[in-house]
Amino acid sequence: MRLRVGAATDVGQKRSLNEDAYASNPARGLFVVCDGMGGAAAGEVASQMAIETIQSYLNGTPPSGKPGGDTGGYMERTVRLAEAIRASNRAIYERAQEDRKKAGMGTTVVGAWIGDSIASIAHVGDSRAYLWHQQKLEPITEDHSLVQAQVKAGLLRADQVEESKQRSVLLRALGQEPSVEVDVSEIPLRPGDYLLLCSDGLTRVVTDAGLARAIDTLREPQRICDYLIETANHNGGPDNITVVVVYVAGTFWQEVWNWLRG
Amino acid sequence: MAKLILKYEDRVLKEVPVATGIVKIGRTPDNTVVIDNPAVSSHHARIFRDADNFILEDLQSTNGTLVNGQLVSRHTLKNGDAIGIGKHTLVFQRADKEEVAAAESGPSAEEPVLPELGGTVFLDTKAQRDLMAKITAQAAEQKAAPGAAPVPKAAAMVQPAAAARVGVLAVLAGKADQSEYRLEAATSIIGKSDTATIKLKGWFKPKVAATITRKGETYVITPLGGSPQVNKQPLKDRYELKDDDILEISGLTLQFSLKG
Repeated sequence: MRLRVGAATDVGQKRSLNEDAYASNPARGLFVVCDGMGGAAAGEVASQMAIETIQSYLNGTPPSGKPGGDTGGYMERTVRLAEAIRASNRAIYERAQEDRKKAGMGTTVVGAWIGDSIASIAHVGDSRAYLWHQQKLEPITEDHSLVQAQVKAGLLRADQVEESKQRSVLLRALGQEPSVEVDVSEIPLRPGDYLLLCSDGLTRVVTDAGLARAIDTLREPQRICDYLIETANHNGGPDNITVVVVYVAGTFWQEVWNWLRG
Repeated sequence: MAKLILKYEDRVLKEVPVATGIVKIGRTPDNTVVIDNPAVSSHHARIFRDADNFILEDLQSTNGTLVNGQLVSRHTLKNGDAIGIGKHTLVFQRADKEEVAAAESGPSAEEPVLPELGGTVFLDTKAQRDLMAKITAQAAEQKAAPGAAPVPKAAAMVQPAAAARVGVLAVLAGKADQSEYRLEAATSIIGKSDTATIKLKGWFKPKVAATITRKGETYVITPLGGSPQVNKQPLKDRYELKDDDILEISGLTLQFSLKG
């Protein structure tokens, strides 16, 4: 399976620091976006730590044999991605405990690890993953945010989310507690599909329809990323913006076919 | 100006100002507030300032730190909070005007009150529990009320785990290592891959011919290699499997069914 990848991050219009971080490693099929939080540059440290610890954990030799304990029916790759995220949570939490200036620092994370035509997706917080499949954009993740919980409980309409004062309150993040619950899913990828990972700096100012339109019109991953950053900034750029786009390329003839149809 | 009032059974022992520095609470003399009691860990908890807030953090003490009777690991202090450490109590007082006004008016019953901040914030454990409890209770109330809004879809979809049936693929024809496959995993692979549930053997077989993803009792097959067919129709894209569907894939004929 061949992947074509684009990635971009930007400080936005209102912030002085970019506390987002990302990793894009097409050779490993590993993609991660983190949105750090915490004052005095601590958010920057947290998101960077998450990126580094997740990558080094997954680069290490996997424990031999099947992963122990209950894997919940998930593939080994999915289980390991979740483990890597939990390991980064511990690392950030411990650093925050040691260093007063870093106390309270944290980060969101959304990661995709692709192999055998299946994307293992894991996330904590309000950074998101989407699948663009057959001209349609499908959300893969569900935000761990207060507003999302309210929407789910039927107490807030989806269109009221943006105006909510509690728009930025997370129910889960890395670095806040000694342990963290990680949500995972497995998504089969077909040639022609796009996977999009992003921080909330994008989704706060660009609608799902806007994301879908950008993919449908531009098609080339890096151009999609650059355009989305530009659009988010044009729409006010209230927060740091990060977006990673992965295109699942088919065989040569499938590509020709797609090109003819598109 | 904020301060802590150290009390032991209603007796005020002393007052400690809390400014920009860190206030360490524990049994050993290197702490700012020393509480010489065996129930107190040597470095039990600390309080520090974060922007406009004072944060209390338990330092993984043996007996824990309470705020207003609830165990906390991290807590944003409000005026009047009673911090319980062993048998001692530290009352947090903050005389900012807004703070006092907020404390007097109390939180609104309608909506949980949280500080409005520019950046992303994390809800600490206790506040989270309270809020989530409130959200759940309100949702239940709405549901119970006659003529209320329809039950949210997410809640309606929740089914008891015990009742869930499992998809089974029975081998009708072709060479396979089992006569039927139970699709217990979130993703089952059909192909030559080592991780495949239904293993295909042979030179020209695809590594991954198809995947079947499970969500509760919904099974969706995604063709990825070869030319799989369902009920004699070529499978072009994702398809939700139904009882008795016949699947032909790389020389195997399989029948899908849900079993209890």
